[in-house]
Amino acid sequence: MSIKLRDLIRSVRSCKTAAEERSVISRESAMIRTAIREEADQFRHRNVAKLLFMHMLGYPTHFGQLECLKLIASPHFPEKRIGYLGLMLLLSEEADVLMLATNSLKNDLNHSNQFIVGLALCTIGNLATPDMSRDLATEVDKHLRSGSPYIRKKAALAMSRCLTKCPDMVEDFVERIVSLLKDRSHGVLITAVQLMSCVCTIDPEIGKSSFIRLVPSLVRLLRNLLSMGYSPEHDVSGISDPFLQVHLLRLMTVLGEGNEEASEQMNDILAQVATNTETAKNAGNAILYECVQCIMTVESEEGLRVLAINILGRFLLNRDNNIRYVALNTLGKVVLQDSAAVQRHRNTIVDCLKDPDVSIRTRALDLIFKLVNPDNVEGLTAELLNYLIVCQAESKPEICTRTLEVVDKYSPNEKWRVDTLITLLTIAGKDCDDRVLSASSTYIASSSDGVKAYAVHKLVKAMRDDDGTQEGLLIVAIWCIGEFGDMLLQTYTSDNGVSYQALEALSVISEVEGVIKQVTCTDAIRQRALTCFAKLTERFTHCDAGVIQKLRVLVKKFTVSINLELQIRACEYSNLISEGGSGKGSLARMPVVDPKVAGKKSLRGSMSSGGMDIGAIANSTVPVGAAPAQQVSGDLLDLLDLGGPPAPAAAPAAIQTTTTQAAPPTQTTDADLLSDIFAAPMPSAQPNVPAAMPPAAAPPAAGGDLLGDMFGGTPAPLAPVAQAPAPVVMPPAAPVVDMFAPQPAAPISSPGGTPAPVANPTFTAFSKENLTIEFETKKEDLSSQSCEVVATFKNSGSADMTGMNFQVAVPKYITMEMLPPSGTTVPGSGAGTLSQVVKVSNTQMGTKKLMMKLKISYTCAGAKVEEMATASGFPVGY
Amino acid sequence: MIQFILMVNKQGQTRLSSYYNWLSMSNRVALESECIRRCLSRSELQCSFLEFRGYKITYRRYASLFFIVGTDGEEENELGMLEFIHTLVETLDKYFESVCELDIMFNLEKAHFILDEMVMNGMVVETNKANILRPILLLQREAGKDDSIFK
Repeated sequence: MSIKLRDLIRSVRSCKTAAEERSVISRESAMIRTAIREEADQFRHRNVAKLLFMHMLGYPTHFGQLECLKLIASPHFPEKRIGYLGLMLLLSEEADVLMLATNSLKNDLNHSNQFIVGLALCTIGNLATPDMSRDLATEVDKHLRSGSPYIRKKAALAMSRCLTKCPDMVEDFVERIVSLLKDRSHGVLITAVQLMSCVCTIDPEIGKSSFIRLVPSLVRLLRNLLSMGYSPEHDVSGISDPFLQVHLLRLMTVLGEGNEEASEQMNDILAQVATNTETAKNAGNAILYECVQCIMTVESEEGLRVLAINILGRFLLNRDNNIRYVALNTLGKVVLQDSAAVQRHRNTIVDCLKDPDVSIRTRALDLIFKLVNPDNVEGLTAELLNYLIVCQAESKPEICTRTLEVVDKYSPNEKWRVDTLITLLTIAGKDCDDRVLSASSTYIASSSDGVKAYAVHKLVKAMRDDDGTQEGLLIVAIWCIGEFGDMLLQTYTSDNGVSYQALEALSVISEVEGVIKQVTCTDAIRQRALTCFAKLTERFTHCDAGVIQKLRVLVKKFTVSINLELQIRACEYSNLISEGGSGKGSLARMPVVDPKVAGKKSLRGSMSSGGMDIGAIANSTVPVGAAPAQQVSGDLLDLLDLGGPPAPAAAPAAIQTTTTQAAPPTQTTDADLLSDIFAAPMPSAQPNVPAAMPPAAAPPAAGGDLLGDMFGGTPAPLAPVAQAPAPVVMPPAAPVVDMFAPQPAAPISSPGGTPAPVANPTFTAFSKENLTIEFETKKEDLSSQSCEVVATFKNSGSADMTGMNFQVAVPKYITMEMLPPSGTTVPGSGAGTLSQVVKVSNTQMGTKKLMMKLKISYTCAGAKVEEMATASGFPVGY
Repeated sequence: MIQFILMVNKQGQTRLSSYYNWLSMSNRVALESECIRRCLSRSELQCSFLEFRGYKITYRRYASLFFIVGTDGEEENELGMLEFIHTLVETLDKYFESVCELDIMFNLEKAHFILDEMVMNGMVVETNKANILRPILLLQREAGKDDSIFK
């Protein structure tokens, strides 16, 4: 039995737990479904009303969509009304059933009762699809000239929806809209003005050219409003119809922008609004705010602009936070046009950074970044750094990055720049992104020796004072100690009296050691520390043997690290720095990185400064060959460190296009994907899987339906991550290989010998008994998602294979189209092949790899053979 | 343009929601709870505007009920929106005769009818209280018995 809506609300309200509420709702849903099935007409409106309530609570209500349609076709107004309300709230624009409503809407638009017409117009305004708009626009247009303002105002907004959905209709209706401005009803006027603004957004050209002649009318309307005196009908706290005033000003802003003549016509009225509006109440301030925006956007007189900026200045000093917020917001918009005027309010704006209200702070911060110029950069950056200390953690990364931009652009000298960045790292080293680390290191490396010495001393001090949590600071500090450790052994005194004592070599080492001993120390820091120790052997050559010995011991310690990467590097470095090791020169100081080049690279999120060091190696005295390449990899890795975490040893996988940074995600998504598709555990991918390993054939399913069984319990094969064979002899060399891959001209031939990317990579997707299937992948454009896979069937046996049936299944994110095969018989003894083209499109290219499940069935020598396999060896980038 | 209008109480229960651009149910639930969480964390003295998820939120608190309007883009006049919320509340107040949370809850459809007279497709239709309520009251009188369909 159907209960009343009120009772449903009561019983939901009396629920004490969420579970209880869910059960009440699901019971009621079931009742409603039953009622729907039984066509219980008398409860239909009540059920839809209940669905509205359930929808608001966040429960599914899709089953009620058709009920709404039935209701709107009802002759009774109350039912119709609820039906339309349900339609507007429960249906999305994409719902298929909406199409069915078009006819009812058309009927209701022609109804003699204005309220029914109003309902239909309201629904069109909220919900119309492009198709409906096209069908109903003429009917809506008819109502623009209706006798009742109630209909006219609704028709105006319904029209705005139709035109937004079908921009090509703008031209046909634009003239009708113009006549709406003569209306006396404020409701029609406000909707008409909004409709015009809307047209100007849809099609600025037609909109502006048609409405520009209305500027005098708009001005007159606004003047009438201002001089109207008290009218109880439109009065809002002493101001007549502020909403209409705001929308008129908005339309004038759009029309006056870039148009001298129209702006000229507006000058007087804008001045009048700006000076005469009562600001005691919010309504008045809303108008003033809109007026200021209008003045600053249109080509208004100089005097008027000064007036506008002054109004904003007054806003800024207002005690009401809402007003201050909009002032900051508007100043942010006008700062580019009139920087000097905004600069006058700089101190007030900076004070807003200390406001307890986060909205105000965000706006102020935004504005300050726009205010920075070479003259005030030092003062404002200091304020920014102060703010960085107190601001919420979630906004820190952004502030760091933006501060870096400021430093990039305006720093007066290199010492200041280095100083600022180190302070930034000290404050927010754990929040800033890799770009800040990278930039700090390159700026330090590229500055003069005096500044370098200052920086490295300062960093050691900052590192000592830190509690081990500011990862970014520690990384930069350790890198700099490794690079410029020798400078720490001398006392530093600057011109303005700042001085740092010389440090003992052993104490420098123990500082770094102290960092990596902390529990909070991450692998990223350990990696840098390891490289730092290796490099210090070169920097501290003049120290006694004990120091070098200590460093060797420290490096040696890492050879038993549980982190594979660290272990590998430690082994290499131990060799490099051992007695008579061949490391001389390879641990020398890094060549200076051009920040511009590095910046570009790191923006691409790729291997940061990795690109330039190819040249550096070519110039170095190290003989070019396999072994030295491996040694240099230390430094290369180091460079990479600037840009981001070093590649894991699994990087060989990413041979063709991916960069080292991209490699880890590629791998994880593979794993995801596999576990997604196959509901079976999969062995973890190992770092140096022979890449061209043929995919293991899945055990034949028990003859069941292919697609049904396909994703069942078959064990996932170890996915070969890359197609191109890369037999990695020495895993450590991998990143080097990796790096050179995109540069075919690189003079070094790596141990593995990476084949240059082939135009159409081919691999064996399936091979069992005598049948081999090779996949050739073709792609017109490497960035496009779609590609063509040509499957070639080869028969190495003597008997023909007949009735070849080749089926492919793909995961959901891939779309596939199979073309007919070239035949159904694969002749034996290599007398010919069969081919079939499969067109696939990977909609998640870049995150997930292409993969397929294959089912092959054929008859060979009278025996029916059925095989299943997985093809996942598609090259990276497909 | 107005993207959504919410009325949420202090416990975070939505009492009325109207979206002018379709959002999936899960998105709505997440958005509503985030909205109210952020509004609740702000004091009376702080400003009535928030920015998140690309929306500009303008909210105003009346007793235990938050009226929240989400708009998109830079164009919207925040102070005007605040005034509009006030007009909405005054209209509801006039209709329900000192409106409270439960009035809106138990007369969900009526509140929606009023809202539909004021906002359409994210734009303002009418701001004059008398004009908004005239058709609503007229229809109610005419139908006379229309209350019965919800009881």
